[in-house]
Amino acid sequence: MAVEDRRRLGIRLTALQYLITVLFSVLAVSFWVLQVVQHPKYEELAENNHQRTLALRAPRGLVFDRDGRVLVVNRHSYSISIVREHSKDLNRTIEMLASVLKLDEEGVRTIVDRHRREPSYRPITIVQDASLAQVAAVTARRLDTELPDVVVEQVPTRRYPETLAAHLFGYVGEVSDKDVSEGDKLKSGDIVGQAGIEKVYNALLMGDDGARRVVVNSVGREIRTLEEDDPTEGKRLQLTIDYDVQKAVEDAFKATPFNGAAVVLDPKDGGVLAFASLPAYDPNAFASGIDRATWASLNTDELRPLNDRAIQGRYSPGSTFKMAVGLAGLEEGVITPEFRVSCAGHANFYGRDFKCWKKGGHGSVDLRRAIEQSCDVYFYTVGNMVGVDKINKWATLLGLGVKSGIDLPNEVQGLVPSTEWKREKMHEKWYAGETISVSIGQGQVSVAPVSMAVYMATLANGGTRVTPHLLKAVDDGSGWKAVPTPAPQSQVTIDPVKLQAIRDGLWGVVNGGGTGGRARLVGYDVSGKTGTAQVISNQGRLAARTTRNLRDHGWFVFFAPRDNPQIAGVVFLEHGIHGPNAAVVAHHIVDTFFAKREGRPLPTLPDEMRLDFKDPYAKGQPVEAEDR
Amino acid sequence: MFERRLYFHIDWALVAAILVLCVIGVAMIYSTTFDPTRGTSRMYTTQLYAIAIGLVAMLITTSVDYRAFADKSHLLYIALLGLLGYVLFLGSVQMGARRWIPLHVFNLQPSEFAKIAVALVLAKFLGENRGAPTPGDLAIGGLLTAIPVLLIVKEPDLGTAVTLLPVFVAVTYLAGMRMRILGVLALIALLMAPIAWKFGLKDYQKARISTFLDPSQDAKGAGYQQIQARITVGSGGLTGKGFRQGTQGQLRFLPVAHNDFIFSVLAEEQGFAGVLVVLGLYLFVILRTLEAARLAKDRIGAYLVIGVLGSFSFQVIYNIAMAAGMAPVKGITLPFMSYGGSSMIATLAAFGLVLNVRMRRFTN
Repeated sequence: MAVEDRRRLGIRLTALQYLITVLFSVLAVSFWVLQVVQHPKYEELAENNHQRTLALRAPRGLVFDRDGRVLVVNRHSYSISIVREHSKDLNRTIEMLASVLKLDEEGVRTIVDRHRREPSYRPITIVQDASLAQVAAVTARRLDTELPDVVVEQVPTRRYPETLAAHLFGYVGEVSDKDVSEGDKLKSGDIVGQAGIEKVYNALLMGDDGARRVVVNSVGREIRTLEEDDPTEGKRLQLTIDYDVQKAVEDAFKATPFNGAAVVLDPKDGGVLAFASLPAYDPNAFASGIDRATWASLNTDELRPLNDRAIQGRYSPGSTFKMAVGLAGLEEGVITPEFRVSCAGHANFYGRDFKCWKKGGHGSVDLRRAIEQSCDVYFYTVGNMVGVDKINKWATLLGLGVKSGIDLPNEVQGLVPSTEWKREKMHEKWYAGETISVSIGQGQVSVAPVSMAVYMATLANGGTRVTPHLLKAVDDGSGWKAVPTPAPQSQVTIDPVKLQAIRDGLWGVVNGGGTGGRARLVGYDVSGKTGTAQVISNQGRLAARTTRNLRDHGWFVFFAPRDNPQIAGVVFLEHGIHGPNAAVVAHHIVDTFFAKREGRPLPTLPDEMRLDFKDPYAKGQPVEAEDR
Repeated sequence: MFERRLYFHIDWALVAAILVLCVIGVAMIYSTTFDPTRGTSRMYTTQLYAIAIGLVAMLITTSVDYRAFADKSHLLYIALLGLLGYVLFLGSVQMGARRWIPLHVFNLQPSEFAKIAVALVLAKFLGENRGAPTPGDLAIGGLLTAIPVLLIVKEPDLGTAVTLLPVFVAVTYLAGMRMRILGVLALIALLMAPIAWKFGLKDYQKARISTFLDPSQDAKGAGYQQIQARITVGSGGLTGKGFRQGTQGQLRFLPVAHNDFIFSVLAEEQGFAGVLVVLGLYLFVILRTLEAARLAKDRIGAYLVIGVLGSFSFQVIYNIAMAAGMAPVKGITLPFMSYGGSSMIATLAAFGLVLNVRMRRFTN
């Protein structure tokens, strides 16, 4: 090689040497920047790439009856959701998912749109309680890597094994956006109680969701679990409810053509043994998201199945109110149990004629007899003597016209009028004549069935207005802990002699010649009172005749046995025509209660209930049994 | 044909560096293709076989005097064109391209061997001339390069085709081409770019380039590999996640990790430390090869070495830049490390020529 050539070659090779060295230095510096300077940022990106946190839903706490019998459980269901964070093409996912699941594409799109503002890592549930076929269809596609942004989650779902006590249990549903923004514990998508004890004791029943961090590959398939934080099951609740009594209540109702409500209490502490409102709904329908059609039909049903009649219905108490008037007379010193009134079938007060229900009149009756026979004229007279304010005072002490304080949401308050009430609400003076209607539980008086149960419990226990309550004990995993009995709402000492006169009258209603004979239970001294609540005035009644929803309501309030009562309660038959019909239902309840307590076989319902369908105002057209 | 005394002049340091790179490559391939759910991957064993065959090829290209190869370079060149033509019409189609000749054991990719043939033919053609190459020489040299380039582009395999251009540039540069002409060529290339953009590139190629300029515009599509490459490298940190612990490569977030993105896997699992070691090894190989060119006894030798080095350096630098998301994604492999039999055998054979030139610097 020529010297000149070699020189040129040397220079050019040296230039290349420098060029290469510079390029490698640039590379080294670039890697330094990426790997050392920007490392934290890329490390986080890499982690987000391959780690997913999946929520492990905590099951809600189980619910038991007072004997430990399970009432509300959980079952496993699968939900199918889209996690937009992993979507490559959300539109395609929606299309494909809709076709795989055989859903309406627009419907899926609407669901996704509704949650568009939420963080993209939060799953949007498309199908709750998916069928196994749907789960299989999605899982198969996921292995084909077609739906990397679709997840199938196993979710514990509420199950109510028997459709019993629907209004008591309530139902669960997805938390509302409002509740999410208010409570710091709740997050979107959580299942919370929406009614009944599910709502009241939601904080106890809800568990703590766990989480599972998993490694996924580039197509979203889970490779392994990094760590798992197990969910904590919600606390278990034991209720004061007695399954057998509850079932007796609902069975008895179902054997009649009537709707209505019943509340049965332990008169000593107010523990609720049974609680029913009919017609009921199936809480299971809500457990995995109620569909629109079912929800709409529940809301438009004219029988209003969502309405909890036991605490939200307000009805005229009718004759069942008479014990309050009688006790007011006795305790205010206006009458004694021996006070007698002569009933001629009607009486004149303030220039107006008031009828007794018995046209021919009862003749001369004392308090016991007046209660037994439900003599209207006797109580017109006593009420007139006592005055509306004293009636109000004693009705309130017995639990009427006030909230019972039961641990259920949305209880309404009844009304027992007073002069003060009329002045405040109507800006009018009370007219003494109005007291006459109030004396037999008509006029302005209205009560919720639950207050009637408290009323009977207070008469049964001698003046303690117990607070009806459902929660008996809580188990947070470390064993059952009894919940203290809520304090009574009020307490008054009733003279035992005077109280006994009332009780004797109630005993006579069932065991003497009274209207409650159908509740009689030999050996148990059932004491009670029937009542009929007018739905419309007598004049209107004549026009309406047989229209079913204008028929009278029937009441039966009771406790048993007369001395040392173990059970107190109310049966309310909506449009049940007669109080005695309610006594038939109560008979089965009380019978079941004592049979269970004494270990006898539980009674069965008779093939035919002794019901009286004859509407005294409907001119002999009986209610057809099938039109309940 | 192999004289015993020449044995002492073999550049053992260069051979050692190359072997270390090959071993690191095999380790990375093992790491990224190992899948516990499917049992051991066969890819790393295939790579080991390729290295063995490559070493035999290297022995051959070292043993036969490079001047003998140069003398027969026109035959080798014609044989190559024949193979490329055969591939174009009768090759096996894989992933939408006709690049391979299926042999029973593995698929042969003739385009990988084009570098050697072109380097030889250019070294011979320009090395026989005296003085700086004339424009006529450049035109002939350019044509000799352009024919295989076009044949490979047609497959299509733009990535491999492009690696032939540095061979021409490097050889003509060393042959004394005026820097002015080099500048003009660069200028023409620059002016041609918009036309090539409009007519020469396929849509997916355009997409790759435009997403390189702004990867986020198509984060799930064409920009995906680039973003993932950066995440892979960046998440490695100073010391890396450890052998077989790289989540990006292991979990397939990084596509063709064992092939084009093998360096990203290294960066993820061995960290900046590993990157520096391998960068150092490549720099050593390149500088050592430049040394071989300097020591060459004749121009043919020097040109041959620089031809081999041209495409090698280009591939190394481009691939490593791509591995860090700093260059548009192209199918340009990392010599010695990327998975691929033809590339491994061709590169080892080419470096056999480099050893050959250095070893015979004292012979006549």
